[in-house]
Amino acid sequence: MKFMAELANIPWNLILPIIVLQLILMTIALIDVIRHQRTNGPFIMWIFIIVFVNLIGPILYFVFGRRQV
Amino acid sequence: MKGLSVLLQKEWREHIRNYKVLWIPIVFIVFGILEPVTNHFLPEIMKSVGNLPEGADFTWPEFKGEEIFVSLLGQYQLIGVLVIILAFMGTISGERKNGTATLLYVRPVSFRYYFLSKWIVVNGIVLGSVWLGFMAAWYYIDALYNHVNALPVLGFIATYSIWLIFVVTVVLALSAWLPTGGAAGLAILVTLVYQVIDSLIGAYWSVSPWKLSMYASYWFNPDSELSDLWMSLCLTVILIAILVLFGIFMSRRNAAKTTV
Repeated sequence: MKFMAELANIPWNLILPIIVLQLILMTIALIDVIRHQRTNGPFIMWIFIIVFVNLIGPILYFVFGRRQV
Repeated sequence: MKGLSVLLQKEWREHIRNYKVLWIPIVFIVFGILEPVTNHFLPEIMKSVGNLPEGADFTWPEFKGEEIFVSLLGQYQLIGVLVIILAFMGTISGERKNGTATLLYVRPVSFRYYFLSKWIVVNGIVLGSVWLGFMAAWYYIDALYNHVNALPVLGFIATYSIWLIFVVTVVLALSAWLPTGGAAGLAILVTLVYQVIDSLIGAYWSVSPWKLSMYASYWFNPDSELSDLWMSLCLTVILIAILVLFGIFMSRRNAAKTTV
């Protein structure tokens, strides 16, 4: 119950936009990686980087991982 | 003029296809939101994860909205400029390398329009992203801190925009001159590293594009001397014009280096 109370204490209206934007960024990167599968380095590695490295992961993928065609 | 509008459409479509019109604005907006929110909740964050000694009682600085704008600018100066350089370092050199340029150069396009189309579209994306980021930050600052007057904020953003146009022009001109890696390295040297040097030994001169990000914050201070700011703006605009000419010249000279 204490956990739930703490959860309710978080000012979600402030945090939510950040989470949504990060999810959008992650989704775009994932869609791109899965559709093209042509990356610098193994593409499974990029999926892990995109999903687990917060915020910087998708940026890293778009800058370094994406092979320009 | 028709050549320019066709090339503009080509650039725009390319940046939609490689998602740059999507991810660059999102990155700037996220940083714009994160800066006011983390500063606002800093005491609570430190309390829960900061490992403060028992009974430690810090008085956290009371931030004003204007200071948040300035610290956000500091973030953009490092991460934002790095993102701009890395995202657009291959705009021209990459096109030469992968052969897209060959398809373009065999057509009767003028190199002036070729370079300008890239310059306009990249500037549009970068400025749009940064403006969106500042707008998001402004909304949060109004909600979490104090109300900041519109006029200083607009002056602040406008001054910073000129610096960003300078950065974009440097990146594109270098990309027209050098291969992608060299362009990125030199662009980082010119924009980020030189900025540190300028702030260290730059006390001897006051007019410099690298000082624009510092002068931008003068807008929040009603009694600061703005003449250095205007001089720096003029110098930056002149440098931008020279760099654009250099970029056009270099993209024409290096046209033969394209992969066929």
